[in-house]
Amino acid sequence: MSGRARVKARGIARSPRATEVGRIQASPLPRSVDLSNNEASSSSGFLGTSRLSTNDKYGISSGDAGSTFMERGVKNKEDFMDLSICTREKLAHVRNCKTGSSGIPVKLVTNLFNLDFPQDWQLYQYHVTYIPDLASRRLRIALLYSHSELSNKAKAFDGAILFLSQKLEEKVTELSSETQRGETIKMTITLKRELPSSSPVCIQVFNIIFRKILKKLSMYQIGRNFYNPSEPMEIPQHKLSLWPGFAISVSYFERKLLFSADVSYKVLRNETVLEFMTALCERTGLSCFTQTCEKQLIGLIVLTRYNNRTYSIDDIDWSVKPTHTFQKRDGTEITYVDYYKQQYDITVSDLNQPMLVSLLKKKRNDNSEAQLAHLIPELCFLTGLTDQATSDFQLMKAVAEKTRLSPSGRQQRLARLVDNIQRNTNARFELETWGLHFGSQISLTGRIVPSEKILMQDHICQPVSAADWSKDIRTCKILNAQSLNTWLILCSDRTEYVAESFLNCLRRVAGSMGFNVDCPKIIKVQENPAAFVRAIQQYVDPDVQLVMCILPSNQKTYYDSIKKYLSSDCPVPSQCVLARTLNKQGMMMSIATKIAMQMTCKLGGELWAVEIPLKSLMVVGIDVCKDALSKDVMVVGCVASINPRITRWFSRCILQRTMTDVADCLKVFMTGALNKWYKYNHDLPARIIVYRAGVGDGQLKTLIEYEVPQLLSSVAESSSNTSSRLSVIVVRKKCMPRFFTEMNRTVQNPPLGTVVDSEATRNEWYDFYLISQVACRGTVSPTYYNVIYDDNGLKPDHMQRLTFKLCHLYYNWPGIVSVPAPCQYAHKLTFLVAQSIHKEPSLELANHLFYL
Amino acid sequence: MEENNLQCSSVVDGNFEEVPREMAIQFKPPLYRQRYQFVKNLVDQHEPKKVADLGCGDTSLLRLLKVNPCIELLVGVDINEDKLRWRGDSLAPFLGDFLKPRDLNLTITLYHGSVVERDSRLLGFDLITCIELIEHLDSGDLARFPEVVFGYLSPSMIVISTPNSEFNPLFPSVTLRDSDHKFEWTRMEFQTWALYVANRYDYSVEFTGVGEPPAGAENVGYCTQIGIFRKNGGKATESCLSEQHDQHVYKARQGLTMLPRLVLNFHPQAILLPHLPKMLRLQVFTTSYPSLQQERFFKLVLVNEVSQQVESLRVSHLPRRKEQAGEQGDKPKDIGGSKAPVPCFGPVFTEVEKAKIENSPTPFCVGDKFFVPLQRLLAYPKLNRLCANEEMMRSVIADSIPLSSDGSAVVADLRNYFDEQFEF
Repeated sequence: MSGRARVKARGIARSPRATEVGRIQASPLPRSVDLSNNEASSSSGFLGTSRLSTNDKYGISSGDAGSTFMERGVKNKEDFMDLSICTREKLAHVRNCKTGSSGIPVKLVTNLFNLDFPQDWQLYQYHVTYIPDLASRRLRIALLYSHSELSNKAKAFDGAILFLSQKLEEKVTELSSETQRGETIKMTITLKRELPSSSPVCIQVFNIIFRKILKKLSMYQIGRNFYNPSEPMEIPQHKLSLWPGFAISVSYFERKLLFSADVSYKVLRNETVLEFMTALCERTGLSCFTQTCEKQLIGLIVLTRYNNRTYSIDDIDWSVKPTHTFQKRDGTEITYVDYYKQQYDITVSDLNQPMLVSLLKKKRNDNSEAQLAHLIPELCFLTGLTDQATSDFQLMKAVAEKTRLSPSGRQQRLARLVDNIQRNTNARFELETWGLHFGSQISLTGRIVPSEKILMQDHICQPVSAADWSKDIRTCKILNAQSLNTWLILCSDRTEYVAESFLNCLRRVAGSMGFNVDCPKIIKVQENPAAFVRAIQQYVDPDVQLVMCILPSNQKTYYDSIKKYLSSDCPVPSQCVLARTLNKQGMMMSIATKIAMQMTCKLGGELWAVEIPLKSLMVVGIDVCKDALSKDVMVVGCVASINPRITRWFSRCILQRTMTDVADCLKVFMTGALNKWYKYNHDLPARIIVYRAGVGDGQLKTLIEYEVPQLLSSVAESSSNTSSRLSVIVVRKKCMPRFFTEMNRTVQNPPLGTVVDSEATRNEWYDFYLISQVACRGTVSPTYYNVIYDDNGLKPDHMQRLTFKLCHLYYNWPGIVSVPAPCQYAHKLTFLVAQSIHKEPSLELANHLFYL
Repeated sequence: MEENNLQCSSVVDGNFEEVPREMAIQFKPPLYRQRYQFVKNLVDQHEPKKVADLGCGDTSLLRLLKVNPCIELLVGVDINEDKLRWRGDSLAPFLGDFLKPRDLNLTITLYHGSVVERDSRLLGFDLITCIELIEHLDSGDLARFPEVVFGYLSPSMIVISTPNSEFNPLFPSVTLRDSDHKFEWTRMEFQTWALYVANRYDYSVEFTGVGEPPAGAENVGYCTQIGIFRKNGGKATESCLSEQHDQHVYKARQGLTMLPRLVLNFHPQAILLPHLPKMLRLQVFTTSYPSLQQERFFKLVLVNEVSQQVESLRVSHLPRRKEQAGEQGDKPKDIGGSKAPVPCFGPVFTEVEKAKIENSPTPFCVGDKFFVPLQRLLAYPKLNRLCANEEMMRSVIADSIPLSSDGSAVVADLRNYFDEQFEF
């Protein structure tokens, strides 16, 4: 088992929510629109598109978003952009029915709630102008809010656009108000639109209403979610606090407006940036402190002590000290120390600390250049986790243990939230004035699709549980393995002994699975990354089939430098193993088995298969993530099956800068994959099904407008006569709905293979949920599939079952995984490149699963 | 440039009514700020625990005062409920307050009501401020004002500010500074009234003001005149609070709790029927701040500080790879600080503190475990401030941090995941 990233790769043994609390989010989350909270001096530091994802997540309710709303218009909001794309109407075969049929029906409870309102409910959108015009949004809001005409009316106002649930008597209402300076201001309120409840604008307003309500329950908005800091959970050994909270949203599912809520946690570090820096300095010493410090801190999100804002650290200015002065807006100079004393009564104790630099986008003016803010490390708290922390298995385990909630625990939290909303007088008042009523929790019927058989070389096995069939196949031979004759083991003096005993074990288990492993050449190297790379350079020749490195420590440089060299400079499959892993007593057999399987795959072997009824089907997985070093680089990983049995894979990984470039490189990949298929099968595949992961909110349009056409054209160009039929499915591991089965008055995770294709899906899409992973103690999260393009015209039932089958084919784990194997392979590939290699791997390895 | 600043100056911190548009004389900082700063200075000087602001408007002054560590109860009263509601939320604790809690509890409550009604919840205050309030009272209310504020509420100190009408001729075309002002007094008028009231209710009064007149017009006095009233004979006895005559007239609403039945539990005497309807009136807003007086947050902070100190000691105890060459790794050695690199920042200790730390028991290693005696931890000023003795520290951290078998020291693994990441 390769030391790192093993947890990432498989669908089990890890709380599905663990990633959620981490810092990195592959998909850019939409910005919040917050008309309601105009009074709070809140902000969100948006720093341009390349960093949207991290920032949006942590920007605390964007008080200025209202004006953005006004300037940009509703249509551009990412939240709602995807919803306006109706893909289903173009797919004739599912226009009437998109539900499957096979399997056993199962009753499921959801985390969705009915939201009831009168049939004729409408939202009235007004535009408000002021004479004389007022620049201050705050003043505009204050004047309107305090006007008796509008008090006691449900309203949302951003300084220009006013939403009311009750129509004003006149189309144009003229009001006048007096400021306390005695000025008379005339306000003209003009009706612009009457919106039915199904309008996307209404959904936005519903979301605003619920955000207001959660604030009334003393919760704080961070990013899009709400947290309760007065009930923190502590992980003292890792200096972390977790704030419990909820992700909420209101949206239309199949013809019904539903409120959904899911438990979420915010990770905060119990230390200021200054404390972090001091500790770091103690560790590294002065020589490389600044460099390490920048590497660790830049890109992190901090929470300032004296307001509710979050900022991202974009730079550290070592030359500016708190005793230096800056110019206030009114032109006066003041030192940072004095400023914080005067403004917030905070005494800055450390006068030698450097300043954090954060780029701010200027308020209410979209196109102006970014401004810099200097922040004092002592007054900033770190939020989220560093990359380094997320790679700490112990830490992530501790977080997962704290945040893991059983289905019944989750259900209780939901019930309490709903109860609070209904019992809190302020919250209820808010709902009622809008004419809304909180309804019942939704139950629906799903289906458990039949389980799959695992095909081994001379044996068909029906696993006891699809979650883990390692025991079931222990005595079986794998489908196909190349013999390993020439290979190297690199280890240090200290680890030589363990390497030898491991080798014996490895050869034994490999033999029994039908994988012949000859004796390697064992090379002893010093314990430093450079020595490992030097030894590889020295000993690897064209005959070497595989290099195994026994790593003395978890230090990332070992893994990164070895992988970098052997994946691109000198393409040879490699296997890294932590010495510590091999020291685990009593685990040797199972560890050796897993490593033997990985090695087989890296040499081009095949482990097992499932029955695929479609002949001549190519499945493709695509994933995108950001490079860990240069965050504006996107790593696109593509994987395609190159045999009808779907056991052999071709891969490419390309580094790109924009989304449209991503589409372009898909064409390059697709052409390559089809050539490979042709080479091995002497024909082109009749069908191609693409599973596309790594899609953020609001990107659906780009996919449909750029990626699908590019894929289609590469398919069309590869053949002169009939071209392959294409389907494109967007795969999302994160989605709002949760499903539970009800048993003996308590709720449990639904069984593997549960499919939901009604009620919690969307009318305008051909979509379904599939549960293909096990959560032993936590709550399972369903994977969401949205078929955005489909020439194949498979029945929904077949599409669902094929997807389920593909979840069985990930060779790094003898069990089912949460997404189809091509997606998981693509993910593994992009992760390796983004974290360790940072450049395109050599094409010589393209036919091997070298990235496992 | 600090960002918050950008915002403030455009809207002067929410006090839109003060945005000077036509005023010929501009004060710097703006006059309302000078008034608030005046109160703030007074609070810094006298450290009152309970402060009420009558006629608090949009709660700007309360927001300025809430950062003061000495205040434990802050109350705002205003007749304009919309204003209270509109800005009320901004008095809630910041997220940072949960991470770095205050030393003392703080409760902030806003009541909707008239300032000239008796409300027993405002009894026993150390300071009551009436900033630009009295000029908004009609003659009836003005007549009742001294009796309620001085006679009934009778706080230790009262600050009253009001416009000085002698200054008005310096403004272009202004008769009254605000259309809601019922009157504006000259210095003589204000002082006569103030002296009469002070005399009657046994207060002493001192006059001052903010908003210096421009050169050449010094004789008109401050733009805002201020009277500081101090109760003669020291502080009010807090016992007035427990008196039976609870009179809650301000409309108030629980912001946090669910239903007002809680109020009944807290005030058994409220069961008396005649008072019941009044008791059920709701506060507009109330919020409690996390503080070190609350066990949960005290523990959070202490555990945190202990882990940080232990971690810091542990790291400086680690033999560095390069230096290690021939040296034995597990040998306990003193870590007074001479070996560790001098950080460019971080805590700086005085000589006394240093001596105290050096004289305390030193951390040590046994096998791959690292021990820091609690006595050592207590020598550090930050921890010493939180925790008086070893017993207390032990009982608070015991279920969060591993301790040695005899409970006298914190135990940590000598090496952890991050050490490997920092080996060069």
